Amino acid sequence: MKYTLERIPEGEDEVILRYCQMTPEVERIWNLLHGNQRRLTGWKGKTRVVVDVDKILYIESVDSRTYAYTSEDVFAVDDTLNKLGQFLNAVNFFRCSKSMIINIDKVQSLKSLPSNRIEAVMCNGEHVMISRTYASDFRKRLKGGRGDE
Amino acid sequence: MNKCGRVERVDGKYRRGGRGDGETQEKLSVWEHYLAMEIAIEFKACLYFFAILFFYCMYRLLIGNAQASILHMAEMIFLTYGMGYVQVYLLSGFDEGERLGMKECLYLVLCSLIYAGISFYAGWFGRVIWVSILFFLYAAFLYVCVFAVYKSKRKIDDKIMNENLRMFQARRADYAERD
Repeated sequence: MKYTLERIPEGEDEVILRYCQMTPEVERIWNLLHGNQRRLTGWKGKTRVVVDVDKILYIESVDSRTYAYTSEDVFAVDDTLNKLGQFLNAVNFFRCSKSMIINIDKVQSLKSLPSNRIEAVMCNGEHVMISRTYASDFRKRLKGGRGDE
Repeated sequence: MNKCGRVERVDGKYRRGGRGDGETQEKLSVWEHYLAMEIAIEFKACLYFFAILFFYCMYRLLIGNAQASILHMAEMIFLTYGMGYVQVYLLSGFDEGERLGMKECLYLVLCSLIYAGISFYAGWFGRVIWVSILFFLYAAFLYVCVFAVYKSKRKIDDKIMNENLRMFQARRADYAERD
């Protein structure tokens, strides 16, 4: 891997990670940069809660509100699905439809459906649909590519 | 925007490219979506055309004529192409369906009837009624075969996808352990 350090006379410090393939090495650097974002803060009623992203099964947008689902709990998240997708996509999450992001590590099995759609069964038994728009990226992602190239 | 990432260098500065909405995966555009549907319909048209052509050629050989009409073949390809649209957009792609239920069987009979009716009207089989009936049964059988082929294709696809999923999860667990 090539490293470049560039000193800028003024402005905000910035780290740009350029990659062709999300290799373990690149992913480790990404995780290091986002080490403080491995947790998600949200609301359960009026109580503020902090949840480890690895415990989240999926995140869904319902009526302009974003909800994260774990095996036992549901909590509202302040960020939009797009914003969450931006950093969660780099780990084990995948945008599976317009209104949902799933945790691939929490998928128990997959079923191919007509019209190139995929049905994912989550580890809690819930069924989640991966729309045909995202299905081919999902397949690429499983094969080891990023699925967004 | 460069090929690999979503960041590009403009006027000596790196800028985030793409739609700027934080979306990091690329969705299919309307054009790509249309193209995918069109390819699927054309594939379907070719599949049914060759199956019908086989029946037509066998019929011609059986009546002692080794020549096929180009006009009939053109009619066949246009008909199968049109039927592809009907099947996909009006009959919810029943031949690729998850199950062959009552509704799908009804669509199957309807499409087979259309094929048999048009073949009779266009005189592909010399307007002989029993050949048209045989052709209707052949078309119905063809739909059942196509349904079975798509179903087994999906079963194989399931196996491959689940294997890839297990490998993906194993890789992730491996990275997590190393970290």
